[in-house]
Amino acid sequence: MFGVGVGVRVGGRTAVGGGGYDADAQAFFDRVTAAGGTLTTTEKNATNQLVLDMKSAGIWTPMKAIYPMVGASAAACAQNLKSSSFTGTFTSGWTFASTGVTPNGTSAFFDSNLSTNTLTNNSTHISYYSRTNNAGATMSELSGGNGSTLYLQMLVYRVAGNYNGDQYVTPTNRIDAAIANSQGFFVDSRTNSTTHKAWKSNSLIGTDTNAQLLNISSINFNMYAGARNNNGTADLFSNRQCAFASIGDGLTDTQASNFYTAVQTFQTTLSRNV
Amino acid sequence: MSIGYILTESEYAQVQGQFYTEYQFFNCVADIDGVWFLFLSDEDKQVVATTEWAWVLDLPEAEYIPPPPPPFPPTE
Repeated sequence: MFGVGVGVRVGGRTAVGGGGYDADAQAFFDRVTAAGGTLTTTEKNATNQLVLDMKSAGIWTPMKAIYPMVGASAAACAQNLKSSSFTGTFTSGWTFASTGVTPNGTSAFFDSNLSTNTLTNNSTHISYYSRTNNAGATMSELSGGNGSTLYLQMLVYRVAGNYNGDQYVTPTNRIDAAIANSQGFFVDSRTNSTTHKAWKSNSLIGTDTNAQLLNISSINFNMYAGARNNNGTADLFSNRQCAFASIGDGLTDTQASNFYTAVQTFQTTLSRNV
Repeated sequence: MSIGYILTESEYAQVQGQFYTEYQFFNCVADIDGVWFLFLSDEDKQVVATTEWAWVLDLPEAEYIPPPPPPFPPTE
């Protein structure tokens, strides 16, 4: 569907408001509306551009779930940009704003309804855009695991000032990297049994080359945001604002870099980049 | 300091996991003494006030003292 709109120059491309959106972006907008949410023209244009940039960079296909956290409501933020699958649900205790969604650090989490058993073993990534710079108790930003040996999760800033990313045998396949703060776009990716990397805002912060011998798709736990899914029980609650999260196949170095560029452009358009 | 609503076991059983909108459900947590607490954001309160669950807004409130953090990394 095409219509008359105001062109907005974003990321070297023109996104057109009022119609003419990418079909996948439009489907997302329709899901938001059907759920009772609303998006501003700026949010629609930014989201449309994000889809175009991800497709252009070859990082749309590897995605299983993309939560752009736009619309400042549970109805809008629960929607998966990639498809009508994996619509999430929020517990009580979240705050919704144009800048993203913020869990209370005590009881709140987001259930993506995407289980680890739908993932591809030895090809997985998770990402979380944290707008909060703080330190404190051990908090988990994205997680699913069996409570003992097998996890897919990231803790963007543990008590000691370290990023922790687990893919999959814990703690053998953990990236434990000293970082300066808890703000930025964190991407944790495994592309084969011995290649596991993590980036913070496009800077490589850690690599794990230990062979992993377990199968992430052999366990069945939903991926949570804002807390750890510890064998079906939420704990390690986070209070860091989330402005984007994704779950999907593993990303190469180039894909991870292009992913950062696309997401950062998206955040900048929405005036919520860090 | 976190202030939340205190729930009896019966009240907890009534609300835990119940959806108050299509995309939001109640999640309670136990404090260091095993007492159930419910935390609602200001936005939650506005929404809940219009639902059958409005009674939770009349529950007594108290300071929440969390239990010791769970182990990390997890132990086998």
